[in-house]
Amino acid sequence: MASVSSPLESGPTVFLSGQKGLRIPFFILLLRKSIRLFLTMLLIPTVVFFVLRIIPGDPALVVAGFDAPPEVVENLRSKLGTNRPPLEQYEEWILSVAQLEFGTSLISNEPVLKLILDRFPLTLSLAVAGMLCALLIAIPLGVMSAVRRWTLWDYGGMVFSQIGISLPSFWLGIILLLLFAVKYPLFPLFGGDSPWHLVLPSVALGINRGAVLLRLVRTAMIEELGKEYIITARSKGLPELVVRYRHALRNALLPVLTIAGIQFGYMLGGAIILEQVFSLPGLGRLILSAVFQRDFPVIQGGTLFVAAVFSLVNFLVDLLYSLVNPRIRVG
Amino acid sequence: MKPMKIILVIGLLFVFIPTLSFSRGAKEEKPIRIALSGNPDTLDPQKTAGTLTFQVTKSIYDTLIEPDEKGVLVPALAERWDFQDDGKKILFHLRKGVTFHDGTPLTSKDVASTLARIKDKNTGSPHGAEFSPIERIETPDSSTVILYLSSPSAPLLATLASGWSAILPAHLIETGHDFGSKPVGSGPFKLKSWVRDNQILLEKNPSYWMPGKPKVGGVEFRIITERSIQVQGLLSGQLDVIDMYDAIDLPLLQKNPNVKVEKILTSLVMVLAMNTARPPLSDLRVRQAINFAIKKQEILDVAYGGGVPVGTFMDASDPYYVDFTSLYPYNPEKAKTLLQEAGVGTDRTLEMVLPQNFEPHVRAGQIYQEMLQKVGLSVKIRLVDWSTWISDVYRKANYDLTVIGHTGKLDPDSRLANYGTDKTYVRWVHPEAASLINKARGIMNPNERKAIYQRVLEIMAKEVPFVYVGTSYRYLGTRKTLEGFRIQPKLDAYDFRHVEVR
Repeated sequence: MASVSSPLESGPTVFLSGQKGLRIPFFILLLRKSIRLFLTMLLIPTVVFFVLRIIPGDPALVVAGFDAPPEVVENLRSKLGTNRPPLEQYEEWILSVAQLEFGTSLISNEPVLKLILDRFPLTLSLAVAGMLCALLIAIPLGVMSAVRRWTLWDYGGMVFSQIGISLPSFWLGIILLLLFAVKYPLFPLFGGDSPWHLVLPSVALGINRGAVLLRLVRTAMIEELGKEYIITARSKGLPELVVRYRHALRNALLPVLTIAGIQFGYMLGGAIILEQVFSLPGLGRLILSAVFQRDFPVIQGGTLFVAAVFSLVNFLVDLLYSLVNPRIRVG
Repeated sequence: MKPMKIILVIGLLFVFIPTLSFSRGAKEEKPIRIALSGNPDTLDPQKTAGTLTFQVTKSIYDTLIEPDEKGVLVPALAERWDFQDDGKKILFHLRKGVTFHDGTPLTSKDVASTLARIKDKNTGSPHGAEFSPIERIETPDSSTVILYLSSPSAPLLATLASGWSAILPAHLIETGHDFGSKPVGSGPFKLKSWVRDNQILLEKNPSYWMPGKPKVGGVEFRIITERSIQVQGLLSGQLDVIDMYDAIDLPLLQKNPNVKVEKILTSLVMVLAMNTARPPLSDLRVRQAINFAIKKQEILDVAYGGGVPVGTFMDASDPYYVDFTSLYPYNPEKAKTLLQEAGVGTDRTLEMVLPQNFEPHVRAGQIYQEMLQKVGLSVKIRLVDWSTWISDVYRKANYDLTVIGHTGKLDPDSRLANYGTDKTYVRWVHPEAASLINKARGIMNPNERKAIYQRVLEIMAKEVPFVYVGTSYRYLGTRKTLEGFRIQPKLDAYDFRHVEVR
C-alpha cells in the first residue's frame, strides 16, 4: 500500500543526489520490499486479533443461544478455547499460521483454509471481470476524449467520469438490479450459480473504477500525441488511424495498465461490498458473517488472506514497474 | 492492439458462457424456492441454538412428537406415549416401517443413542440442560423406548417435540459422523447440496412415512440477507415464499396479483426491558411511570407492522395467556406525577441500547425515546451489533433500557425460567415468583399448573420489569399458486410436507 506512492516520491530523490542516479542492486530492492511485505502481513492480523479480543461479543453465546445456562456457555468456551488468556491464544495462532494451519471455524467446525479457498474464486473472478469492464469503458472513452479534445465527446466523457467516481458502487449495484433484474428481468436477482450472475456486479464495479481510469487514459493519450515521434510519424505520411492507435495508444497504455494493476487491490475491496448487494457467496460475505458471529479463526484467517493477496499484488506490480523503469529503483 | 483484443475476447466469453447454462434440465420437478435471511451455523440439530438451523432441519429430520398447527403435541416418530409412575416414567411406542435417508430402519436404539448424545457434555449441545430430568433410558424391544425421570417434568414433552430433539441414526452417531454438513435423518427431504451463503438444496425423500407426502420435488433455500431483494424476488417470481417480520414492504406485495400475503400472529412478546438493578429503574414507581407513558398500540403499528397488545410476559395466543392490559393504560399525567414522587427529573439520562441489525426494534426505540421525553425523561440511544447485544446487554445487563422481542416457547417454563431471580437481564428479583415458577415445572396436572402460572403472570404484570408492548404479526408472502405451506407455531420452523403448487 505504501509502495503505491513510491514511484512518485522516489523519482526526484534520484536526481537530488547529484549523481547519474543512485543505482541500488535489484536483489536489495527485492529484500527491502519483501521485508515490508512481511511486516504488513504480520501487523494486520495481529491488530485484527487483539481488536477481536477487546470488542464485546462471545462466539460461545452465538452457538449456545442467549438463554443457555452459564455452565453450558462455560463448557463451550473451554471447548472453543476462547476462555484462555489472549496472549496465549495469539501465540498458538501465530505459530500455527506459520505452518499454514489456519484452524477451524468455531461455528461450522470446518477448516478455515477450505472455507476461504471455496469462496475466493468467486471474489477473484468478480474483481477480474470488474477490471475488464473498467478497461472496456476507460480505454475507448478515454481515447475518444483525448483525440477529440474540447468537443462534446470530451465533455461527455468527463461528465461520465465525474458521475462514475461519485456514485458508490453498491448504490449503482442496487440500481442495476432494479433495472435489469426486476424491471427487465434479463439477469438473476440473487445467487452465484453461474457467470451470468457476475455480469451486473462486474458492470457496477467497472463503471466506478473505469471512471477513474478514463481520466488516466485521456491524460496519457494527450501526452503521447504531443510527443515528437508522433510528429515524425505524421510527417512520414502514416494514416492518422495508425498514428493514433498503433503508436500513441500503445505507449499510453503502459502507465494505464500499471495503475490498473495497483487498483486491482481496491477492486477486491469493492467486490467484497458488492457480494452483499448481489447475494453472492464470496469471501466478503464469509468474513462479514464471521464478524457478526464472532467466529474468530475465520475473521483472522480471512483478513490475513485478503491482506496477503492485496500486498502481494502491490508487491508484484511494484517490482514489475521497477524492472521496466530503472529510475524507480530507490526503495 | 494486443491487450484490447484479449480484453474483447474475454469480455465476449463472459457474455456467451452463461447462455449454455440456460439449457439445463427442465424435466425434473421444480423445487419450492424460499428466502432465508442468513446462513444456518450447522445442520447438526444438537450443536446450535440458532433458529435458522431448525428452519431447515425440520425438513431433514423428525422428532418423536411435534406440535400441530395449533401447538398441540401430536405423534410423529412415536405413534403414542404413556406416562407411568406419577409422570416419572414415559413410554414411547415408535412408528413401524420408518427408514433413515441411508436406508437403515428406525429402532428404539436410535432414539436412545440420540438422547444420550444430547446429554453428553462433549457434544456441547446448548439445549443439553433441558434433558437433565432424564435419568435412564431403556429399550425393551426395537419399537419401545422408556425414559426414567428423576422427578416429573412438565416441559420435557415440549422439549422432545422441538427441533433440537431430532432423532439421528445410531450407527452414524457411533462413528462420529459429521451431521453438521452431511445430515442424515428420516425427514421428508434429504440434503442434495449446500453452498454456504448461497443456497441449500433439498430433494424429496420418496419413502417418507407420511403417505403421499411430500408433494413437491424439493426445497431450495436461497440465502438472501437484503430484505428488499427478497421482496423483489417474490414479486418477480424468482422466489415462492418469503417470511417477513417487517411490514414496510407490504403495500408493494399487496399490489401484485400473483402474490398473496398472509397475516399470522407470532408468538413473540415485544418489550421495552428495564434494568431493575439500576436506579432510578429499581423504583417501582419509575417503571410504572414508563408504562403509563407508552402508547402500546402505536408502537406495534408503527414499528412492528401491527399486533395485539399484551399486559404481561406471555404472547397473546398462548394457552397460558391472561389479559392484564387494563393495568397500565396510556396516561402521561399519571406518569409525570409518579416520576415527581420518585424524584426523577431530566438531570438523569437513561441509556437505551438497541440491536442495530433489527430495524423494527431500532424504529421502536426511537418512538419510545420520543414518548418518554414527553413525560420528562431524557433518553439517549446507543446502537450495538447483535453479538454485543447478547453478551453485553443480555448476559451482563450493561444497560438501562433496551428493546427486544422474546421468541415463543412450546412450554411456558422455557419462557419464564429464571424470572424472579437475578439471573435474567432485567435483574428483577421476586422470590415468590421465582419459587412459583420452579414449582410449576414439576406439576403434571394442566389445570393446577395453569393456576400457578396465572399468579406468576399477575405478579409480573404488576411489578413491570418490562413494558409489555404486545405480540406482533408476521407476514408470509407466497406466490398465488402455492398452497399448504406451514410455519410451526412457537418454534417458527418451516414445514413443506403439505405444500403443493397448483
